[in-house]
Amino acid sequence: MLLLAQGPDASTAEVIGFWVFSVIALGGGIAMITFRNVVHGALMLVANFFAIAGLFLLLDSAFLGIIQIIIYAGAIMVLFLFVIMLLGVVRDDLLIERDRWLRAGAWTLGLLLVASVAVVFVGPYTADPSVCGSAGEVVPGSAEVRCAGLAEALRDTEQGSVGFAAERLFTRYTFAFEFVSLLLVVAIVGALLVGRRREPPMRPGGIPAAELSGGPLTDGVARGDGEATGPATPPHTHREGSTAAPRARGDGGG
Amino acid sequence: MPIGYYLVVAGLLFSIGSVGVLTRRNAIVLLMCVELMLNAVNLTLVAASRLWGAADGQVVAFFVIVVAAAEVVIGLALVVNLFWRRGTLDIDVASLLKG
Repeated sequence: MLLLAQGPDASTAEVIGFWVFSVIALGGGIAMITFRNVVHGALMLVANFFAIAGLFLLLDSAFLGIIQIIIYAGAIMVLFLFVIMLLGVVRDDLLIERDRWLRAGAWTLGLLLVASVAVVFVGPYTADPSVCGSAGEVVPGSAEVRCAGLAEALRDTEQGSVGFAAERLFTRYTFAFEFVSLLLVVAIVGALLVGRRREPPMRPGGIPAAELSGGPLTDGVARGDGEATGPATPPHTHREGSTAAPRARGDGGG
Repeated sequence: MPIGYYLVVAGLLFSIGSVGVLTRRNAIVLLMCVELMLNAVNLTLVAASRLWGAADGQVVAFFVIVVAAAEVVIGLALVVNLFWRRGTLDIDVASLLKG
């Protein structure tokens, strides 16, 4: 086998794991874009994520592998499945012929991408040992150039993968880390705003459709004016009473 | 194992995701294909991290995961809103901004 003959340090376990996980990943991806059932496609994507997590483990990145399983296969795909079940769109009726030229162009573009990957990566990066560039060191006794890879760096730092990544994360990328947390807050607020239902199709009170569709801006202004004077006074007094009650209770306690 | 094999797998995954984006019309499947493409890029970053013996690739892949989570949250909120307004998940229906 060609891969087993690449070098003395290419372990057999990594080769076997690589082929198994990459076949699962590619098969899951192909199944995801071809299945008509959206739930089945999502489950195939979960298998794909697990396989990519296995590839991360093979690449000496245990922290990212676990993060991949927890966040992608755990959180994001559950969100996808939740939305699929919520909307009740399990069966995809849209998997019909789109524009014929667009479809042909899409497949042509995909094959072009595959061909460019084959040209760019398969030749130089799979066989040439000088792939590691300046970080490589010549193995004494042979002409092989070995990279100063992550396994050696992990062994030098005497830390786990988590500490190794976190040291860089909290020194050089501290601002990026903080801004990413800000991004998550913005995403939560944005999802609350975008996903809010403004005009529900059915209201329990049976409000006529003319009032629903008739000028939301003026309707809101009128409702804002009316809250101070007219029909909103009973809840207003009720709110005063409810705020007065804890104050009285606080006085009694003090 | 040479790094090129991981890069080839990542390139194939990216190609699969891009073909899915271009051929499917379901908005949810579209978002899943985008996730697949982001994962392909993550695989490239982690492979480079292993190659160079530095943690930068892992850190950037971590940021990509976080940004993908935010993107999925916003995207799915948009999809739910689209489904409530138009009653379909067809992305060709939402063509109001089309010139």
